[in-house]
Amino acid sequence: MTTAPALPPALPDERFSAVPRTRSRLRRITLILLDKITFGAAFGGVLVMFGLLGLVLWILLKYAWPAITHFGLRFLATTQWDPVNDKFGALPMIYGTAVSSVIALLLAVPVSVGTAIFITRIAPKWLAGPVSFLVELLAAIPSLAYGLWGALVMVPWLQNHGEPALQSLLEHVKIIPLGQNADHSMSYFPANLVAGGAYGSDLLAGGLILALMIIPIITAISRDVLHTVPRDLEDGAYGLGATWWQVTRIALAYSKVGIFGAVILGLARAVGETMAVVMVIGNTNQISGSLFGGAQTMAGLLANEFLEADHALYYSALVYVALILLVSTLLMNTAARLLLARLSRPRTR
Amino acid sequence: MTASAITPPTVPPIFSSGRPRNRLSRYTNLLAKAACTLSALLALSVLFLILGFVLYRGVGGLSLNLFTKLPGPVGSPIGMENCIIGTIILIAISSAIGVPVGMLCGIYLAEYSRGGFFAHTVRLLVDVIAGTPSIVVGVLGYELIVVPTGHFSGWAGGAALAFLMCPIVARTTEDMLKLVPKAYREGSIGVGASKSQTLFRVVLPAARAGIITGLMLAIARVAGETAPLLFTALGNDQLVVNPSQPFPSLTLEIFKYATSAEDQWRQQAWAGMLVLVSIIVLLSAAVRYTTRRTTHAR
Repeated sequence: MTTAPALPPALPDERFSAVPRTRSRLRRITLILLDKITFGAAFGGVLVMFGLLGLVLWILLKYAWPAITHFGLRFLATTQWDPVNDKFGALPMIYGTAVSSVIALLLAVPVSVGTAIFITRIAPKWLAGPVSFLVELLAAIPSLAYGLWGALVMVPWLQNHGEPALQSLLEHVKIIPLGQNADHSMSYFPANLVAGGAYGSDLLAGGLILALMIIPIITAISRDVLHTVPRDLEDGAYGLGATWWQVTRIALAYSKVGIFGAVILGLARAVGETMAVVMVIGNTNQISGSLFGGAQTMAGLLANEFLEADHALYYSALVYVALILLVSTLLMNTAARLLLARLSRPRTR
Repeated sequence: MTASAITPPTVPPIFSSGRPRNRLSRYTNLLAKAACTLSALLALSVLFLILGFVLYRGVGGLSLNLFTKLPGPVGSPIGMENCIIGTIILIAISSAIGVPVGMLCGIYLAEYSRGGFFAHTVRLLVDVIAGTPSIVVGVLGYELIVVPTGHFSGWAGGAALAFLMCPIVARTTEDMLKLVPKAYREGSIGVGASKSQTLFRVVLPAARAGIITGLMLAIARVAGETAPLLFTALGNDQLVVNPSQPFPSLTLEIFKYATSAEDQWRQQAWAGMLVLVSIIVLLSAAVRYTTRRTTHAR
């Protein structure tokens, strides 16, 4: 009759460890210690992540504080950006960012959702994979490449062909009644959507290039969301005699929250984008009611003026702009991720 | 009520496969399909338009000088040797910082978190950090490193890129570790391995291909970044290898040349972009090839 070898006595942490008690004491202590070190290191990685976010918020807040106390929230609604006289307001940049992003969304969302539907519901299997890959490749192209192409190919084309054509088409359409007077005050007057010279570097160009940049993001996520539509739902609809388009509409309705999340994610990307926009939007700190007016985004302002800030308040105002940019993208990204996370969890009915 | 009183309804074919029977629906169907196909074509044409122009304009400026000469005045044979070396060094610095931190965070999410509130928060945080505007990261690098040390440097540029790299590496590491079947871990624990032995000898080797893939994607992403380098590395026309000086990068040089009015410089910008985009496209294609092979093997 064989007896099991006597096990060494338990170590304090042994109950929670995978290390078996059939090893020597020293070996077990080493292994348990290694387990703890590994866990500590992994947890350290998480802490560094928290640290990064805390760090960026704290540093920006610290350096923006003089401007925040000096201008307060009026900073967001002031139209003047005048470093010489120490008068700073971010409204032109906020306007430029918002309008170029909205133009981008208007152009990109239909195309992206259409492409996602094509990949998930129209393309045969042999085609869907490559198309998917090419869309992801589009997302991998650096923003500088979009900027280079935009500045050296798109802008000259817009200047010589696109914008004159658009101008003759929309000449008599007066839609946006908001504009900036010479003394920086705002007033309402019937503005022409395509007023001014067609220089190519303007709000329209910024919106266009941003649209190209966010198409792959919105497409990729919408595609993933559309893939989660339950088969039963489609089969049921087909079984009731629904047409392909009706079933697609059901699928879109089912995934509307996720697609909305994808759109917000695309918006956040557009708002935070620097290089592509800075090369095509004209970089003028003004509010223009015309699509053909030069503009400036928050990120573009930083790229243009950050290293030129020659006195404390100017510098602080620029960091204030960076803080606004950071907080707005953080909020959008958080909202989008929460919307998308809700989808990936099992649905309870 | 008898069963015979119920007349069976006219049942539509169960697997109608969505083919409409009246003319209006048929047209709607056709129109919708055409619109979706057209948008896919549009999205792809953007890709080919940009890649095509980079190739078409870039090939003309491609010469040995690009890899062996330094930037210089217009008219002389100029190149981007220092920028290519600079970009490689910047990637090395950022990987040295970003890869360990990102991988550790990914390991925590995949191996140690129990899927509770904390894990969801960390995952959300990582995603949100990944969405930080890159120019803001540049501002951070400027204030944290450039101002205290008193000069622009490759260290600052590398650190800024590392900030962007961490979340990408973390999420891909997590995803790849989660692809490793649970049975591997159970088997390893079952034969008496400790948790860390399981991690280092079983789980990480099993996920190696996937993790390397993720790292390559992160490198491809970081290699094309310009905005974080504007206020940190600043750029340099000389060949420097010591990262404590203002540091050249391919992207910064392309940006400088692209915004100039000189034809020769613009040509350089296209050629530099061709080099950059080729690296990124090759990395992405390699990634697709390897991941496809591993998923087939499973």
